[in-house]
Amino acid sequence: MRSHRFFLLLQKDLRELLASRAYWILLLIIGPLVGHGFITAVNLYAEASGIAGGPAALAQGLTPLDGILVPTFGAYDLAATLLFPFVAIRMIAAEKESGAWKLMLQSPTAISEMLSSKALALLVGWIIAWLPGILAIILWRTYGGHLFGPETINLLLGHLLRVSISAGIAVAAAAIMPGAANAAIVTLAFTLGTWALEFIAAGRGGLLQQLASFTPTAALRSFEQGQLRLSIVAVTFVVAVAGFVVSGLWMDLSLRWRQLLLRTVGMMIVVAVFAIPAARVRAAWDFSEDRRNSFTQTDEAALAQIREPLHITINLAAEDPRLMDYERNILSKLRRILPEVNADYASQSRSGLFESGNHYGEIWYEYRGQKVMNRSTTEPIVLESLYKLVGVNPPTTSGESRFSGYPLAARPTGAPILFYAIWPLLICSLWLFHSKGSR
Amino acid sequence: MTSNIAQPREAGENPSRNANQALPLLTVRGICKSFQSNIVLRNVSFTVRPGEVLGLIGPNGAGKTTLFECLAGLTPTDAGEVISHGKPLPPHARKQSLFYMPDAIRPWPDQTVGWVASFFQQMYGRSPSESADLLKSLKLDHLSRRRVWMLSKGEAKRLLLALGLLTPQPVLLIDEPFDGLDLRQTKEVMALLQEHARRSRTLFVSIHQLTDAARLCDRLVLLSAGRVVGEGTLNELSTDAGLPGSGLEEVFLALT
Repeated sequence: MRSHRFFLLLQKDLRELLASRAYWILLLIIGPLVGHGFITAVNLYAEASGIAGGPAALAQGLTPLDGILVPTFGAYDLAATLLFPFVAIRMIAAEKESGAWKLMLQSPTAISEMLSSKALALLVGWIIAWLPGILAIILWRTYGGHLFGPETINLLLGHLLRVSISAGIAVAAAAIMPGAANAAIVTLAFTLGTWALEFIAAGRGGLLQQLASFTPTAALRSFEQGQLRLSIVAVTFVVAVAGFVVSGLWMDLSLRWRQLLLRTVGMMIVVAVFAIPAARVRAAWDFSEDRRNSFTQTDEAALAQIREPLHITINLAAEDPRLMDYERNILSKLRRILPEVNADYASQSRSGLFESGNHYGEIWYEYRGQKVMNRSTTEPIVLESLYKLVGVNPPTTSGESRFSGYPLAARPTGAPILFYAIWPLLICSLWLFHSKGSR
Repeated sequence: MTSNIAQPREAGENPSRNANQALPLLTVRGICKSFQSNIVLRNVSFTVRPGEVLGLIGPNGAGKTTLFECLAGLTPTDAGEVISHGKPLPPHARKQSLFYMPDAIRPWPDQTVGWVASFFQQMYGRSPSESADLLKSLKLDHLSRRRVWMLSKGEAKRLLLALGLLTPQPVLLIDEPFDGLDLRQTKEVMALLQEHARRSRTLFVSIHQLTDAARLCDRLVLLSAGRVVGEGTLNELSTDAGLPGSGLEEVFLALT
């Protein structure tokens, strides 16, 4: 009986999803957006692969993850930020505003079941919206393009978690705020807030930067680099679930204000209790085919001998490109394999252009009271200094074959007509067919 | 349906219901509710007897809708309780005994009438024929493919009544069951509600048309400025008001 009721709820929520103009608009827009990303990416990839006779060296190390998948699925980041929240808000706000929620609250189903059904309907809706992305992957394969399964699946997981945060925040806003418009403003304000946090926290280190690494965009970036960080998965999942739980609390109309506030604060404490330790989990996997998030296996074996905390003082400003290089090429890899890495961002300015001290550009490493300075952001030079500092013999040879890349000089045949004509026509036809009789 | 036109009757004249007077189905005791400094309900107490049609009447702003929402557990109360079978019924458990059908809502406006009725029928384990009969009784059967947002006010009201009557809770609270209905529809709906009451379903309805209330209800609760100013049959109320033998309008004006 319970499963029958849940099926009924799911059926209702799927019907409501299809009744949502916001969802049809999302479907209509996502095709051309994905198509534009894909077509541009394939053309650029072909150019880099030497289709127009460019330098052969450019084709080396070309990977479909950066070249095709990330730009193609970038459309979904945009959709998850600016379109999908409206779909999620409507799932809650429409029932609130039409009075249907008052009827549902008196039905034999629990609020948790009703919200689970809505979450599942939104998930189904999002997976349907993935169709253009899946079509792009299929087209890429038909062009003879290469795909590496683990990094592709990892990227899809990142996008799934990205949209689950959007959905969690949107349903919580829809439950708390009176009216869909207010909920939309709150959701967009949250997004803007996370962007501001990322901007402010960049290159500052400490708690602020750690917090900024869990914003939806930053979390997705990690997946786009082929990395799966357990902390990001756990924190994202907890935040998304918390959004639905907070929504459940505020949708329970029998609660007094005081009860609501107490339970909401209690919920936030529970989230903190789970999220803070989860954020400190160091487990991470590099699923990129070119192992861009890892040192060579021999280096990793040598670095595994470092057992004590490594302190790094970085005298580089937030907007200095060397800092970005350093964080990507060195720091993130060290953090993944060493037991404890403490990075201190010593620069006080954003650009570094007007730094007055003589130490700008220096990167200091401290291990067991010993210090060494190096200005390089290049992996072999930094590792050499580190081996000397910690007293470990550097490995003689890497023993690994170099990633040669997958250049492909193909044109996006068939993609423009598919994404710019067939997809919009198909969605418009289905939309019209579905809404037939409503006029 | 048209064969069941309601017959006018004096409130409280149903002997089978009077027999149950000693055994209240629900006892509402000391309900208080305020929104910030605006006190809406003040120590509201009354009883609901099994199988009766209890009417809630009062001027605009008396707190009728708020009282229904408080009873259904859809609005938290500041004080008071609802007692069922001698035990307090906490707000989260009210849906086992009560179903409240609000006024002026359009649930799932983008869905069809047939689908909404079918959803309720399946949710509450009713048979498709029960749902079909009800839609027919309320003259909604020809509208089953129409979207809810397209319904007229009266059609939407009849849909809400159909949904309410598909629910199985022993007590059905209906806010303004005749609002938007014409005279003929009012009489037909009244007969349908009486038929459901005869099948031992207790109805508690808020009605602003006093003539309709007098026709339909066995007993009445008069609410004025958030207080219960009278409870009983029309005869009892008119006696309380010092106007024995008067109609409900005179009693209403005297007590509110």
